Amino acid sequence: MSTTEQRAPSVGARFEATVTTTCGYCGVGCRLEAHVSDGAVIAISPAADGPANRGHTCLKGRFAHQFTRSRERLTVPLIRDGEPGSFREATWEEAIAHVTGELQRIKTGHGPDAIAGLASSRATNEDCYVMQRLMRAAIGTNNIDNCSRVCHSPTSHALRAALGLSGATGSFDDIEAADAILVIGANPTQGHPVAGARIKQAVLRGCELITADPRRIELSDLSTVHLSNRPGTNAALLQGLAHVVIRDDLVDRAFVNARTEGYDEVAALAAQYPPDVVAEICGIRAADIERAARTFAHADNACIAWGLGVTEHKYGSETVRLIVNLALLTGNLGRPGAALLPLRGQNNVQGSSDMGALPDTYTAYRSVDDEDVAWSFEAAWGVPLSRAKGMTIPQMFDAAVARDLKAMFIFGEDVAQTDPDTAHVVHALESLELLVCQDIFMTETTKLAHVILPASAFLEKEGTFTNAERRIQLVRPAIDPPGQARTDFAILTTLSAALGHDMGFADPSEVMDEIARLTPDFAGVSFERLGRGGLQWPVAADGTDAPILYADTFLVGDGRARLAALPYKPPGDEADGEYPLILVTGRRLEHYNAGTMTRRTGNLQLLGSETLEMHPDDAAARVLADGDLVTVRSRRGQIELAVDVTDRIERGHVFCAFHFPEVRTNLLVGDSADVNTSCPEYKVIAVSVRGTHDEPGIGTAITAGARSPSGAVPTGSW
Amino acid sequence: MTDATIACTVTVDGTTVDVPAGATLLDAARAAGAAVPTLCFDDRLAPFGACRVCLVGVEGSDKPVASCTTPARDGAVVDTRDPTARRVASAVVELVLSELPDAPAAHTELAAVARDLGVDQSALRWTGEVHARDVDDRHPYLVLQHEQCISCGRCVRACDEVQGAFALSATGRGFDSNIAAGLDEGFADSACVSCGACADTCPTDAITEHLLLDLAVSGATIEGTAT
Repeated sequence: MSTTEQRAPSVGARFEATVTTTCGYCGVGCRLEAHVSDGAVIAISPAADGPANRGHTCLKGRFAHQFTRSRERLTVPLIRDGEPGSFREATWEEAIAHVTGELQRIKTGHGPDAIAGLASSRATNEDCYVMQRLMRAAIGTNNIDNCSRVCHSPTSHALRAALGLSGATGSFDDIEAADAILVIGANPTQGHPVAGARIKQAVLRGCELITADPRRIELSDLSTVHLSNRPGTNAALLQGLAHVVIRDDLVDRAFVNARTEGYDEVAALAAQYPPDVVAEICGIRAADIERAARTFAHADNACIAWGLGVTEHKYGSETVRLIVNLALLTGNLGRPGAALLPLRGQNNVQGSSDMGALPDTYTAYRSVDDEDVAWSFEAAWGVPLSRAKGMTIPQMFDAAVARDLKAMFIFGEDVAQTDPDTAHVVHALESLELLVCQDIFMTETTKLAHVILPASAFLEKEGTFTNAERRIQLVRPAIDPPGQARTDFAILTTLSAALGHDMGFADPSEVMDEIARLTPDFAGVSFERLGRGGLQWPVAADGTDAPILYADTFLVGDGRARLAALPYKPPGDEADGEYPLILVTGRRLEHYNAGTMTRRTGNLQLLGSETLEMHPDDAAARVLADGDLVTVRSRRGQIELAVDVTDRIERGHVFCAFHFPEVRTNLLVGDSADVNTSCPEYKVIAVSVRGTHDEPGIGTAITAGARSPSGAVPTGSW
Repeated sequence: MTDATIACTVTVDGTTVDVPAGATLLDAARAAGAAVPTLCFDDRLAPFGACRVCLVGVEGSDKPVASCTTPARDGAVVDTRDPTARRVASAVVELVLSELPDAPAAHTELAAVARDLGVDQSALRWTGEVHARDVDDRHPYLVLQHEQCISCGRCVRACDEVQGAFALSATGRGFDSNIAAGLDEGFADSACVSCGACADTCPTDAITEHLLLDLAVSGATIEGTAT
C-alpha cells in the first residue's frame, strides 16, 4: 500500500490504473501519480513521498496534462512536399529511409561535421544519451548540444571551475534547514512553484529572506530585504555583499583558511565595491546592501537560490562565481541548510547535460579530448570517435547561415521560438539542406523541417529525469503515444540502426545500465535502485548517493574551492536615447517555455496572452493606459502586445515572457552572450515602447496582425 | 525544539511501539498498524483537532481524546476500539452526513470514514435541513460544490500551510459554515494560484476537478483537448 493510499483511503478506486512518474515541466522534479482510465490521463495528484514536492505540486504538473490528447498532436511522420511548411504524410519506413539517405549523402559529401544535433532537455536521460551516441557514433561528430546552452550553462561552467561538479551542492530539503535564503535572479513562485512554496513556508516559519530582482516578485513581499538592482548589475551587487562581509569581519575564517584558495585577491577586489559605489551602479540603497549582507552572514546556515536572471547575461558565468564566493566566504557549503541551489528551468536540463549531450563532453562532463574517456566509449561502441569539440547551438546557427553546416536533427526543442535573435535562427534553419525535427506538436521550428518525426510526451515514455538537486527519478508511461507516434527511444535507436550503428538496447533501463558502466559518477544507478525516491548523483557502485556535496573536500585541484576575483563589467546592451528602456524577459506561472504544451490546456483560460509590464510613470510618460497595444522595438526586431501597468517593476524597465508564438519576444534579443558559455543575454535588451496606434501610418495594419494568432510577425522577413 | 531522537514507548491495541518525542497518539497508532479514522487530519498540515473523529481511549483518562493532537507520553496505553470513542465519533460523522443533500461519493475520505464507523446515510437517527446545491464551476479545472463542505478546514490550511497563497477562508457560522475563495469571487479572481492543494486534500469533493466530475457522471473518458 502506498503512502498516498494511506492518506486518502479510497482515492484510486475511480481509475483503471495509477502510475507514479516524474513531472515533465520545471526542474523541481515533482513525483506525480497519474490516474488513467480508457487510455487517457484523467487526473494527476502529487506523490506524498516525492522528495522534492512532498505531496504538493503546481497547476502545470497537476492540471496541464490534456495536451497529451490534443487533436493537434503529431501522429504520423511528415515529409516536406514542395514549399516549406507544406507536408505530406509518410510511413515510418519511408521517413527513416529518407532521413538516413539524406544524412549519408551529406556525410559523404561534406563530412560528419556538416551535421549537428540538438538533444531535448524535456526528454529523458536515456533519450539524451541515445541522441548523443547517435551523433557521436552513428554520424561521427561532436556537434551535439542541448538547450541548457541558453539557460544554465554559465552555472555549470562556474560550479565546475569553483567547486568541481556541475550541480546544486545540496537539496530542496536544505530550504527548510536554512536560517537565511538569498534568492537572486529567480522568481520561484512562478518559475519553480513548488520550490517557491517551500521557500515561502520556510520564511513564514521565520527563515530570513533576501530577494534580488529588477521586479518586485511575490517572494519580495515576504523578504527581509528586497534589492531591485538594475538588470546586468548582479556582479556589482554580489561584490557589494562580499565587501560588507569582509569589512565587518563576518568571514568564516576557519572555513576560508582550510577549504578555499584565492582569498587575498578576492578581498582586495571587494574592497573596491563599498556599498555607496555599488548602490550607484545597481540603482538601490546602500543601507539595503548592508542589511542584506549582514542578514546573510549572520545566519548559522544560509542557502542561495538563483535562476536565469543570473545566468542569461554577458557575464553570467562570472556572476555565478561571485555567488559561490559569497557562500565560501561565509562558510555556507557542505552541510544541511547551507546549499547552492541553481533553479534549473526544464525538467531534465540537468540530466541532458549530465548525459553528454554537449559538444565538448561525454557523460558527467568528461572532455571529448580526454583520451582515456574517449577510448572507453570507443571500446563500448565499437567505432572511432572524434576528439574535436563540436559546435554550440549559436555556432551551429552561424555555421548554417555560412552554409558550412548542412543538416540539423532537432529533437524536442522549438529554437525558432525560444532562441535569441529569432530572425537569425530562422535564416539558419532555412539555409539547411536537411532539417529533421522530432517533436510532439507542429512548432515554429518544425514548420521549417524537411522531415518531422512524431514523438512522445513525458506521460508516454519510460526513463529517468534528473532534477535541479541532481536527483535521478524514474519516469513511467501512463498512456500510449497517439496514432503512429513513437517513443523517442524507439525513434532514435531505429534511426541509429538504419545508419549502421545498432545500439542493441532492448529498453531504456539498458541504456541506464550502459551509462552506469561507462560513468563513474553514475556507477551505482539502475532503474531498480532508483525506486520511488530516486538517487542524487554522484552514486557510488554500492548505490550510496549524495544529497549534500563537499562535506569534507571540494573536487577541484587539491580539494580547496577556488574563490574568484572577478570585477563587475557592464552588460552587453544599455539604454540610450533611441532605446530608453531595458526589457527583461522571463516566465509566467501558468505557462511553460515555448508554451507548446500548456497553451493546449485549460491553463490558456487562466492566462490567455502575454503582456508587457511597465511602471506607471513610464506608462504615463507615453500616455499609455493598462491594456493599450504597444510596439516594442529593439536593435534587432519588434513585437506588439498589450501593456500591463504595474509598480512591481522599476522605472526604466519593462518585462514580458516568451510563451506565446503570437508575441515572439525573442525577436528582440540580440547576439550578446555569456563570455564563457555563449548563453544568450535574454535579460538585458534596450527597447523603445510606443503605443501601436501612435505609429505613423502603419498602426492599423500592425494592430490587425497582432490580433491574429498566427500572423502577428512574418517569419524570416527580417 | 524537541529532540526527535528521544523515543517514548506506547502500547496501542496491545501492540507496543517506540515513537519519537513530539509524536502524537495518532502517530503511535499508525506505527502500530492500527487504523484510526480521521477527517480534518492531513499529513502535510499541522494537526487541527477539530473533527473529533480520531478519538481513542487512553488508560487513566475518563474520556476519549483526539489522537491527532494528543502528544504520546511514555507508557501510554491506547485503545483505538474504545466503545465510547467509536460511539462519539460515529455520532459526529452522522451529524456531518445529516447536513448533506446526498451521500458522499464512495471514493471520498468521508465515505470511507462513514463505512469504517458503520454510519449509513440512509439510516440517520437525526435528520433536518440539508445544504442546497451551490456549485461554482468558473475555474477551468477546479469546481467548488459548497453543499458538500463539512468545514473541516483542510482546504484553507492547505492553501496557507502548503502553498502559502492564503486564497481560501472559512465563512459563516453553524449550519452556514462554508469556505470561500477570496471574497467569494471564485478561484480565478482570488489570490488562488491554481495549485490544487485544496482539491487534493478535500475529504468530500466539495472542491474537486471538472474532469473527475465528468468521469463520475459519464463513467467514460474525456476525449479531446480543452482548447
